[in-house]
This record gives sequence, structure tokens and C-alpha cells, in this order.
Amino acid sequence: MTAKTTASGAAYDVQGDRADTERRDAAMQAFVRDFARTAAIHMESCLRCGMCANACHFYVTTGDPKYTPINKLRPFEQAYHRHIGPFAPIYRLFGLKSNVSIEMLQEWESLIYDGCTLCGRCTLACPMGIDISELIKEARHGMYKAGLVPDRLELMDRTAKAWGSPASPSEDFADIIRDAGEEHGVPMNIDLPKADYVVTVAPAELTEHTKALSDVAKILNKIGASWTYSTEGFEASNIGYINGDLPLQEKMTRKIIDNAIRIGAHTLILPECGHAYGAARWEAARWYGKKLPLRIIHMTEFLAELVTSGRIKLKKMGETTCFHDPCQLVRRGGVTEAPRAVLKGLGLDLTEFEDHGELAWCCGGGGGVVSNVRADPLRFKAFSIKRKQVEDAKTQHFVTACGQCRITLTLGAKHDKWDQKVESLLELVADHLED
Amino acid sequence: MKPDDTLAGEMQRRGVSRRAFLKYGSYIASLMALPPSAVEALAEGLAAARRQSVIWLSFQECTGCTESLTRSYSPTLENLIFDFISLDYHETLMAVSGEAAEEARRAAMAANKGKYIVVVDGSVPMKDGGVYATIGGKTNHQILEDTVKDAFAVVAVGTCAAFGGLPKANPNPTGAVAISTLVAGKPMINISGCPPIPEAMTGALAYILSFGKLPELDHLSRPKAFFGETIHDRCYRRPYYERGEFANAFDDAGARQGHCLFKVGCKGPVTYNSCATTKWNGGVSFPIQSGHGCLGCSEPEFWDQGGFYRPLSTPLGAMGPALAGAALAGAALGVGAALSARSHQKHYLASLDKEKEKE
Amino acid sequence: MELLAFARGPALTFSLAIFVLGVVWRLVGVLALPPWHDYSPPREGAPPNWLAAIRAVFRKMIPHKTFLKDGMFTTINGYVFHFGLAIVVFLFVPHIVLIQSLFGVSWPGLPNGVITGVGGLTAASLLGALAYRLTSPVLKLISRPNDYISWLLTFLPVATGLAATAHVGLRYETMLALHILSVCAFLIWFPFGKLMHAFLFVLSRGATGIRFGHRGAQL
Ligand code: SF4
Ligand code: SF4
Ligand code: SF4
Ligand code: SF4
Ligand code: SF4
Repeated sequence: MTAKTTASGAAYDVQGDRADTERRDAAMQAFVRDFARTAAIHMESCLRCGMCANACHFYVTTGDPKYTPINKLRPFEQAYHRHIGPFAPIYRLFGLKSNVSIEMLQEWESLIYDGCTLCGRCTLACPMGIDISELIKEARHGMYKAGLVPDRLELMDRTAKAWGSPASPSEDFADIIRDAGEEHGVPMNIDLPKADYVVTVAPAELTEHTKALSDVAKILNKIGASWTYSTEGFEASNIGYINGDLPLQEKMTRKIIDNAIRIGAHTLILPECGHAYGAARWEAARWYGKKLPLRIIHMTEFLAELVTSGRIKLKKMGETTCFHDPCQLVRRGGVTEAPRAVLKGLGLDLTEFEDHGELAWCCGGGGGVVSNVRADPLRFKAFSIKRKQVEDAKTQHFVTACGQCRITLTLGAKHDKWDQKVESLLELVADHLED
Repeated sequence: MKPDDTLAGEMQRRGVSRRAFLKYGSYIASLMALPPSAVEALAEGLAAARRQSVIWLSFQECTGCTESLTRSYSPTLENLIFDFISLDYHETLMAVSGEAAEEARRAAMAANKGKYIVVVDGSVPMKDGGVYATIGGKTNHQILEDTVKDAFAVVAVGTCAAFGGLPKANPNPTGAVAISTLVAGKPMINISGCPPIPEAMTGALAYILSFGKLPELDHLSRPKAFFGETIHDRCYRRPYYERGEFANAFDDAGARQGHCLFKVGCKGPVTYNSCATTKWNGGVSFPIQSGHGCLGCSEPEFWDQGGFYRPLSTPLGAMGPALAGAALAGAALGVGAALSARSHQKHYLASLDKEKEKE
Repeated sequence: MELLAFARGPALTFSLAIFVLGVVWRLVGVLALPPWHDYSPPREGAPPNWLAAIRAVFRKMIPHKTFLKDGMFTTINGYVFHFGLAIVVFLFVPHIVLIQSLFGVSWPGLPNGVITGVGGLTAASLLGALAYRLTSPVLKLISRPNDYISWLLTFLPVATGLAATAHVGLRYETMLALHILSVCAFLIWFPFGKLMHAFLFVLSRGATGIRFGHRGAQL
């Protein structure tokens, strides 16, 4: 692993010691593999209108045109036109589209990883409806294959392969659960052979937000559900999904799904994590090639169900709040009403940001950016948008429903020396359960 | 030369006053849109003009041009001018025929060497040695070359002579060509039209008679005075065109209300002629006024514009088969490209499997 | 008339054939790629795919207000020249006559004065778009030759069309021929460059509409 810079000064990391051409070919092949019909349609359709730039927090806060979303796809596009597009044979015959160069891939590493949170805001701005963020996610597959990934993300990749989680070894999981239970005085279920609900977790909950572990338990106990945590399949955050490491993505998904099926669960509850939702709710079935025999829901959806159906009663807080919509949950996941229903159940008066719901601004840390220290300065810049929104809202609380967002926002506030607490919807619900 | 040898003198003899004649001169001048200063010059020049020897050659033609020029609706000054010029040879009009006629031509050429004007109607067949039109055993081409050699100027009358016209229309079986392609180096005027407007003919002649030179010509050697504007430019139906009111058929309400004829094939917008201003039959009417679109008869290749009733803005060829073929070819290419892309992907997936096996 | 006959004849036939060939080629080439099967259960109450696609096609006609703040010029100017082109192309009677000769359908047109005015506005708007492309740092970075060629081949028919009606430049029949030839160039380029978005927008928006509809997400 070596940190390097390109001629233009862009930082890039390299993994492994393969020859450049080999990397390049690996990237090209992986790019090529990804072009199904939808991706191809989108690769054909760009008008070069630049509307997507205005949607991206990285462009908006830096003013640097290289952060224009569609620009982040350049190598991917080039591969498409050379190998897949309807005119690809002509391009190759006349040498009209050159092969992607290793220099280009190096240059684009930081744009594809540091400069994109996969938030999907650009998709909403594009008049052609090009799903740019989905394409950037696909472009990461080739970058990963080429061994051109930020070292920190690659480190998490290797850790997840070794431990089953980027945060903590599987062997420690049961202890962490038991500790959290003891600390907060909540009876925990761990590794029960059969249960209706299997609860999964996100890395932040194994380190900083351990209270979340007992909060879920408290709620599930409250409704008298049959539930369990499982050492065999606990990690829902999917670093393979984020890094573009497809085999790892498959492995991590199969781990939690296979385990839940083994236990006979009818529902797999995902933690307060946006990308976990993306990887499991929408992409899990792709590895099985068929519909899965269980329900996969996000914590927020679960809470909303309990609150609106009256299965849990909450103490009314009677205070004001604003809400950060996690991109993967709301814009890319369609879970827009659920968190609002829960806030209402909590008696919190929600002041919406000017851009909220599907138009919300990203926290700036998704898509692995928060873990990629190299991107810190960029992330702190992007944070300024959120900070202004929160300050303008002038509310007593600031709530979100994604642990990664919460960490990003907390770090951003800390960096700004801005005293602002970021709260979790799950925690609020657990803390206000009516007996 | 006797004083009454002039045109004015001739007119006087026929009972036309000098005043009336000068009026006619200014009429011609105004038709040709000459500047005021030139009006008097033309009238005076015309009055003082002397008999001009003219040799009229008819090749592959239909006599329509001659009809147009000579069979005006009533005896007019134009006729008188024709009477005045010395038509030393005209197949249709002259009384003599055969060898005697040819003799008359040779005599006129000899007598007026370098001064006579050759008027031609009809095009010249060039294919197969020009055998498709011969007179007295000589091909049109031979006669033309022979006659033009000592001429002062050549006037091609009618679209056949000017641009090849009907004989040259697709598939042009006789290899017909325009006169201009055969008379290099001589002053040359084209009075196109099928047939041409008589006034365009007499106007041009009057100009030559008065000033002894050719009038100003356009890029197709047509007098600008008569061919400077399109029919459409001066068409009285133009306001309908601009308002978007069109006849869709010859018997619909639009046609009855005199709407623009563009949709039923009028070629007025690209046809340079003065029908819309000078009109026909002594200014009575012109085709568009009578309810029919302009055919474009004064333009080269007007027979081959895809049909007189095909609107100007439509393609000339039949599109159906070409487009169907293109669609099929496109589909085939598309499928081919997609298959090639899929094989690329398969190739990659196979290499992935190999990797897995190695592990 | 020779140039005009060439333009109306072989040139138009050839370019329309290339147009059809290219459009079919490109659409089939993309649609014949393997589809992506989504086995995840749709959100409860998700619209059927076709409806989600149609909704997206229409939804994307009007940008979200928030993106207008910086995209106002692009959006408004885009509307102006798209509507301008549509009016000039489809409501000028000689054009309608052409369409009728090809497809047998026709509709009433607008007076020429209106067409000329709209044409002028369209030309100005296109020039504005070019100026913006040449000065905006974002557009300078992401533009390709494709964008400039497509611009030129859109502008030329408008410019020659206006010049022909206004009788400026060469003789009318020559301008008319040049106008038709510029349209031929436009048609030939159309399927191979970004002009193709006139067809692709339906697919592109529709595909995202299906993805978002399935998830119950808003576009
Ligand atoms: S997905 Fe988000 S971060 Fe990435 S390019 Fe689009 S707007 Fe920017
Ligand atoms: S908004 Fe869409 S069409 Fe416009 S430049 Fe970005 S990706 Fe291309
Ligand atoms: S131009 Fe027309 S009228 Fe004159 S000879 Fe030819 S076909 Fe006849
Ligand atoms: S009738 Fe013919 S010449 Fe007259 S305005 Fe219509 S198109 Fe033009
Ligand atoms: S209106 Fe047109 S077709 Fe008719 S005589 Fe005049 S120029 Fe010829």
C-alpha cells in the first residue's frame, strides 16, 4: 500500500504490486461486466448540460468543476463506448475511443471514492433521469478490481473479510451485546436457535453507539417479540457494497440472509444504517437470483410500524426538531414518511429544511467517505451546507436515522467547534417508551 | 438609307403616331424597370432603330414558343415589331420551303455578316451523332454552328433552347442539350419559359435594337428585367402564404377563396419569371391567377422536380423502400453490436470463474 | 435548381435512410443488452413498471425548484430552444407538407410571421446556449466534440431557414437547397451524437422511474 499523487496533484492509493496494464485491464473488464440495459441506456443519454453539478454538495461547496457528477464517470463511460455501446465495434475498428489509461484511473480514484457519497442527489437533478450515483457505484467495481481504492477503505475491506465485520471480530460480538445489555439494564437475546426477528447491527453500534444495541432489545422485549442477535450473521453494513468489492458484498449479504433463514426468522431488521438498507433491501435478492423468503426492513420502518399500529406507546416530548434524511434510506430507499411518522409519535414538532425528503442534502459522509480520512477536508466543506440548514431551522433537537450520518454530522460539528448534538430516532423511541 | 427605313417611319406608315410610339417605348422601358433617364433613350433609340436581320432556328421544339410570340391575342405593337424586323429565316413562318428556304438563310447570313441575330427555339440532340433532328440532311448541331459563326448575338427562346427543356427531361433519349452549351464565345441571351412571355422576348429585342448591346443578365443569362424576381416574390396570393392559408386541393374551399397554391405544388418560390407582374395575353391573367400553381417552367430541369403537384418542400424520391431497408439494416447492426457486447461480458465472466477455480 | 433537386432528391433520401438506420441501430443495440432482474420485493403500493416509467418521463419535464437556483439559465434557455425548435419544425406549413408526404399525417400550421419570430428567438437562444457552454467552467470541462457538432448542426438549419425566408445571402433557391442540405447533415448526425436524446429521454427517464417506483422513492 502506497499513497501517491498524480501529475495534477490528486492523491491516490494503490493496492498490490501488479503491473499497470494488468490493473487497467482488470478495471476495464469489471466496467464492461456491469453494463446491463439500464446502465447502458444511461451511458447513452447524457446531454452535458451540467445540471447535476448544482446538486452535488462537493461541487457546490468547492466550486471545482471536477466534482460535477457526470465527470466522475469518465473512465467508466469510455469503457462503455469502447466495449459495449451500439457503436463500440466501429469505435474499436477506427480507434475512435482509446482504452482507459492507468493514469486516468489513478486520477479518478479520488473522484469516485472521496468525491462521491453515492447520495443520488444528482440523479434527481438530471433532466434525463440518469441515475449517476448508481453508475458511480458500479464504476467502483472496476476500481476495486484494479486495486485503486483509498487505503482506509481497503483496510476495512480486509478487516471485514477477516473478522466478518469492519468494526469488531465475530468472536467479540456476543460479549459486546451482553455488555450493552448489562450497561443499560436490558435483557438481551443472543444466538437463539429460532426466532421471528433477527436483528443486525452497523459498525458504529459496536463501537460508539452501543446503546443502540440495547435500545432495539428494549423495544422488541416490550412488544414481546421472539427475536435474537446472531454471531453467525450480525454485520449489516456492507463494505463490499461501498468499496465495489462484489465478492465481498455477496459474502456479507449471504451471511446475514442465510443466517436469518436458518433461524427461521420472518423478518430481518436492519440497523440505523443507510447503505445497509441499500445492500440488503434492494440488492440481496440479486445474489440468490430469486425472491427471498423473509422480509428485510430498516429500523426506521420497523419503528414506524410499531408506532402507527399502536403496538408501542410513546411519551410525547412536545419539543421541536429538525430531521436529516439519510440519502440511502430516503432518496434512494423511498422511506420518507416512516421517520416522520415516528417523530410525530414522539410528539416532536418537525421543522423541515428547505430541501428535505428526497431533495435533502447529503451529510457528506456516505459511500465510505466518512471512513476515508483522506477525504476529511472535502467532507468538512460539504458539512457546511447541513450546518446552515440546522442553524436556520432553530429547533431543540436534530435527529437522523442513520448511524453513519450521525457520525459524519457529529464529526463535522466537532471540527467546526459547533456545539450541536445529533440524535438517533431509535434512541429517542427507546427512551420514550410508555410503560 | 431612306429616312423612313427606321422603326418610327414604319410605324407612321401603318398609322401609329410618333407620340403613341414613344409611349410604347416607355412602356417597354418600364416593364424592364429601366431608370427614368433610360426611358427616353430607349424610346428614341427604338424609334431610330433600323431593320435588323434575324435568323430564327427551330430545333427540337413544339412550336409553342413561336405560337406564344406571334399569336398574341390582338394585333399589338409587338406584332408590328415582328413585322419590322427582317425575319430572314423562320421555318414555321416563312412561305418558301426546302432548298429555297435554306438558300434564304445563307443569303441573309452573307448579307448581314457579323450583324444578324440568331434566335433559337428548341434544344439540340447530340446523341448518336445528332441524327434525331435533321433539316435538309444537316443535323441541328451543324446548322447551329454554321449559323452562329457570323452572328452578332444568340437569343435562346424558350426553356428547351435555354436549358434543354422537355427534350432533355429524364431520360433524355436524344441527348438534348441547351444552346448555351454549344455557342461558346458569342453574346448570348436566354429567354426561358415554356413558353416564354412575349413581352420578355420583345423587351429584350427592343433593348438590343435601341442600345445595340445586351441587357443586364442573371447567372443563367436571362435578362434581369424579366427574370430578376420569383413568381412568389410578386404573387398576389402571397399574403395567404404568409398567413398560412392554403388550398389543399383544387376544388376545396381554400382554392375557391384564392388561397396560396403551395400545397398543391406551386413552384413559384423558386421560379424566376415575370408572369406575376407582366402576366399573359396582354396582361389578362397568369396561371396562378387562373387557379393553378406555377410549374417552374422558366427554370432548368423543371420537368424533373418530381411532378407538378408535388409540393416544393417534399422529397423527390420515393422514401418507403429506402427507409424500410434502413430500418432493417439498423436492427441487424444493433443486434450485432449487442451480441458483441454480450460476448465481451461472457468472456469476462468466464475469466472470473477461472479465477475462482484457482482459489 | 440543380442543387435544390439534389438536396430534395438523393441527399434527403440518403440522410433520412441513415437517420432511420442509426436510430434503430442505437436503440436496438442498447435494448438488446441483458436486462437487469430485480428480485427484491417492491415497496407496498409501488406502481407497475410501465406507470412508474411514464410518470418519470413527465415528472422530469419540470426540474425541482431547488435545482433552479443555479440551473435557471440552462433550464429556461433549454425550454426556449426546445419549444422554439418544435414550433418551427412542426408548425411551419412547408415542414408540415414534408411530414405529410412522409407519414401521411398533417395538422394546421402557424402564420409565417410567427414562425420567423420564433425562429429568431430560437437562434438567439441557441447562441446563448453556446456562449454558456464556452464560458461555464463545468460545461467547459464536461463538453465533448459531440456537443459542439450537435450544436452546430442544430443551429445551421435554423440559420439557413431564417436566411432563406428573409432573402439574405444567396439566391432563394440556393438558400433553400442549403437549408435542406443542413437538415440532411443534422439527420445524418442525429443518431450518432447526443441529438439522439430526443428518443433516449423516454428510455433514460423511464428506466430510473422504474427503479425509483419499485423502491417507492420520489424522482
Ligand atoms: S451521488 Fe451525491 S456525492 Fe455522488 S456525485 Fe451525485 S450528488 Fe455528488
Ligand atoms: S444533469 Fe444529467 S444530462 Fe446533464 S450533464 Fe449531468 S448527467 Fe448529463
Ligand atoms: S420551351 Fe416549351 S413551348 Fe417552347 S418549344 Fe420547348 S416545349 Fe415548346
Ligand atoms: S401561389 Fe405560389 S407563388 Fe403564389 S404565394 Fe403561393 S406559393 Fe407563392
Ligand atoms: S407561372 Fe410559372 S409555370 Fe406558369 S408560365 Fe409563369 S413561370 Fe411558367
